[in-house]
Amino acid sequence: MSSDARPQELTYADVNRDVVRSLVETGSKYYITLACSIGVMLACFFFPWFYQLYYGIGAAGVNHPSVWGTYLASFIFWIGLSHSGTLLSCVLHITNSEWRKAMYRSAEAMTLFSLCVAAMMVMVHVGRPWFIHWALPYPNQMEMWPNFRSPLMFDVMAITTYLTGSSIFIYMGSIPDFAAVRDRTTGWRHHMYVLLSLGWRGTDLEWHRLRWAYTFLAVLIIPLAVSVHSIVSWDFALSIVPALHQTIFAPYFVVGAIYSGTAGIVTVMYFLRKYMNFEQYITKVHFDNLGKLLLVLSLIWTYINIVEIFTGWYGGTSTEGEAIRYRLFGYYAPLYWEMILFCAVAPLLMISRRFRTSFVPMLILSILINIGMYTERFLIVGTSLSRQYLPDAWGLYVPSLVELSIIVGSVAMFITLFLIFVKIFPSVSIYEVKETLPEPEPEPARAAGGPEWQPTR
Amino acid sequence: MATHAIGLFETPSEALAAAGELKGSGFGQPSVISPIPLETAEEVLGEKKSVIKRFTFFGALFGGIGGFTLAAGTAVLYLHPTGGRPIITWPPFLIITYEMTILFGILATVLGFLISARFPAFRDRIYVPEAAVDKFAVAVACEDEGIFEKAEAILRGAGAGEVREVTE
Repeated sequence: MSSDARPQELTYADVNRDVVRSLVETGSKYYITLACSIGVMLACFFFPWFYQLYYGIGAAGVNHPSVWGTYLASFIFWIGLSHSGTLLSCVLHITNSEWRKAMYRSAEAMTLFSLCVAAMMVMVHVGRPWFIHWALPYPNQMEMWPNFRSPLMFDVMAITTYLTGSSIFIYMGSIPDFAAVRDRTTGWRHHMYVLLSLGWRGTDLEWHRLRWAYTFLAVLIIPLAVSVHSIVSWDFALSIVPALHQTIFAPYFVVGAIYSGTAGIVTVMYFLRKYMNFEQYITKVHFDNLGKLLLVLSLIWTYINIVEIFTGWYGGTSTEGEAIRYRLFGYYAPLYWEMILFCAVAPLLMISRRFRTSFVPMLILSILINIGMYTERFLIVGTSLSRQYLPDAWGLYVPSLVELSIIVGSVAMFITLFLIFVKIFPSVSIYEVKETLPEPEPEPARAAGGPEWQPTR
Repeated sequence: MATHAIGLFETPSEALAAAGELKGSGFGQPSVISPIPLETAEEVLGEKKSVIKRFTFFGALFGGIGGFTLAAGTAVLYLHPTGGRPIITWPPFLIITYEMTILFGILATVLGFLISARFPAFRDRIYVPEAAVDKFAVAVACEDEGIFEKAEAILRGAGAGEVREVTE
């Protein structure tokens, strides 16, 4: 696998040139896309949000009994999407997989920006975001202190740690590349990279320290990533709502998160490869390997879905049975079967290697998987509260235009952040790609004896 | 102000061989500057010990103790009895402890990295821009002109395409 993953006919200088070019050469297409995504973000995210702040949370469709709606579904979706980037990068770093090296930087960026968007969804959900600091333990005149027994506090701690860890991990791995770019840029970019590279020179001592620190970070982040989505699942599973109060929820969420995150990586890789001219770096091998991973994850995800329904049915309680019946055949059933089609059936196409190594079909499938995974989160959040216990507590949740608009706006926010990223961070790791290239050969003249040397001072 | 001889090589093996020869000829510890990490550098330049693991360990320990103290201390200071359950409830507090252990482990690792690699360093130091692209450089401190010429001869003999004299 490793030799196949190696970009062919590239030299060290080519890698520097290509990556620096991706940072400094910006065409009109980029600016148009950026302007569009900023426009959509302002119109579809911030405007509806301010509308909701002005008129109150009633602008959203959430009401008793369905007090959780698309904002929380989006929160879980974005947290899930964040999962594969840093986690996959850490696992592949520790297992020394060469195919990681060309794609991990962008995958980690995906993690970072997904987490930022997820945090924004919490702000939107809480209704009064100016009191969000009340969730933090700080001495105050109200003598108010967070309740650390609440899964919501687990969330605050886990997501803060994951955001901090992911930011540090992507930054640390980029320091040598900032130094490489520093020497090739001028003006404000040069000053920025001087600061970001911290004075990196590439000495054996610096490489040694970086390797140790980077590996330690990877080891710390893997269990952290698993804990984050387990904790998100406990926001629901630690309640006593039928269909949510399940022991399988933690692994279910973790697998679902890695699944949608890996699909997200495929989407990002496609656009990066096509529009940043990284064809020589992101190859069919990457899509093939990501396809295999997606296939395995889809099978595990399908298995957990079957188990979830089986245990609910086998338990034989009326409330659990009703929750399952409602999900499979009730008002939201078309969404359920759409999810099964996109996340359990369609991914079986990836059994074919030809499919896995075809860029456009993989892009389409990765987007379908994430649509299906968003639906899954909506079904978990939206349908469970609307069908619990006695019929007089039943209700129906339909998202309002404000909520639907904010979903679109959150995607635009992610795209905006990513577009800014690709112009600041080297989106392909310069030094790690070089490691996959053949070692430079001595010049023939010198290898054969070469001319006598002359002092150069 | 120390003078350094810096040899530029095309390949990592040449650079490492030169570094080994300089070390064996009684020069101070040479430094290899490269665009990629060199796995075999330690075999030539000697094993390096890192304090980063200690930072990670003590950071994680501090975070773990701090996290549990935060959660348990809150429960003790702000009594909130729930259904006859204990005030200090282990399962939820262990989650807070776990997250804080990792958070402070990460922060301490970064601190350990910055201190042990001597970052940030914005003052002028020996730097070879080509070594961020495709050249491998070996730098060694030289006390006087005669020693510099000896170092230059070794570097050239090992295959350096260019030797520079840099005063730090």
